[in-house]
Amino acid sequence: MSHIHLPDGVLPVWLWVSGFIIAILVGAILFRFIKKEDLARRLPLLGMMAAAMVLGASVEIVPIAYHVNLTVISGILLGPSLIFLATFVVNVILGLFGHGGITVIGLNTLVLSIEGILGYFLFRLFWSLLRRLTPAIFLATFLALFCSTLSMIGVVSLGASHYEELIHQERKGIIEFHLSKENEDQHQEGVAENKVNLKRFIAIVLPLGFIGWMMEGVITTLIARYIHRLRPDLLRLEG
Amino acid sequence: MIQLSYLDYLAAEGKSWLHHLSPKLKIIGMALVLLGIVTLRNLSGLILLYGILLTFFFISRIPLRIFSLTLYPLIFAILFIFISGFQILFILLIFLKVLCGSTGVVLLLATTPYPSIFRVLGRVLPSLFVTALFLTYRSIFILLNVLEETQHALYLRGGFQWRHPWRSLNNISNAFGHLIIKGIDASERMYESMVLRGFKNKIHYRGE
Repeated sequence: MSHIHLPDGVLPVWLWVSGFIIAILVGAILFRFIKKEDLARRLPLLGMMAAAMVLGASVEIVPIAYHVNLTVISGILLGPSLIFLATFVVNVILGLFGHGGITVIGLNTLVLSIEGILGYFLFRLFWSLLRRLTPAIFLATFLALFCSTLSMIGVVSLGASHYEELIHQERKGIIEFHLSKENEDQHQEGVAENKVNLKRFIAIVLPLGFIGWMMEGVITTLIARYIHRLRPDLLRLEG
Repeated sequence: MIQLSYLDYLAAEGKSWLHHLSPKLKIIGMALVLLGIVTLRNLSGLILLYGILLTFFFISRIPLRIFSLTLYPLIFAILFIFISGFQILFILLIFLKVLCGSTGVVLLLATTPYPSIFRVLGRVLPSLFVTALFLTYRSIFILLNVLEETQHALYLRGGFQWRHPWRSLNNISNAFGHLIIKGIDASERMYESMVLRGFKNKIHYRGE
């Protein structure tokens, strides 16, 4: 649910261009923390986890296009630097499928990597505090998804004036002719109708998002327990 | 995702004029479509753009079953009905932008093999990103094979049923867990075989 499935041409140009610039800067900073040899060795793992995320995005758990992101479990397995590159790759491939726009790839990468990176650090924090896998994974996933949904809402809100412009554009007629008495009433009514209703959008996204956070929290917990049974070394719980 | 292998097949085996066009020109064309989507703000312009893309879609003899892929993103565009307060013209504008974007990319994918797209992207993106893209693309097919095998085990354990939500969630999670572990094992073997073949941070394409 936190993935911005926004089409191209909806967000203002300055917003998605900034998204690309910030994503490049963040990527450049994160890659300074990883050695080149280590990166080369882990590229196939990155490819596999990105492929798992793409497959997760294409499996509808609930109709109306609910799907798991698998970003948190990928973040825990890959670490914060590699999850950023993985989410970029996932967004490019999903964008090429029409599952989200091409111009919003930068913004989507930032939003999804918040899930992965926060998920990684929150899991480490809760594991060190609780020493129990199930609550640590569930809480880390729930909170990471909550934060990324908030950032998605923030991104959509930044484009509010642009949506109003688009609405206003369509309301212009070829000939504008008003009687003077009606002019003021019509103008006020027009202004009210041109305003976007972000509160309504938030009121819909948050409850739907809550269902998604719970579901992904449960699924990620079950996946982590399965991995812990078969390959506990992957979760790096010691130390 | 099953459509991915079919799209790949169409892109490689298609014989229309669009299939024979250079990948660079098609990507430039897609960039022009994106420019149109971003700059056009009236319905007539977007309808014209969508009409052109639909014409290309049908004269390239792309099967109709692929057309449904272009409609999927409309599900998310529905959220904009609530933002705009049910302004019909605004909603139509958004829907047309969505359809133009999705039709354009599906057209590109169905007529251009992925390695050709990645090779062109390699001229503008760092080699690390393109290598990651290529490895992800390859891994999707590996995981799809694993998923096919896992599906039988899933059905034997009851699969996905609304009447048993907890069991269903358990089954799906075990399937994804199995997929991830198999994928990690496959990635370790992939790295070893790539190193044996001289891999050093970059994948080279034929013709370079």
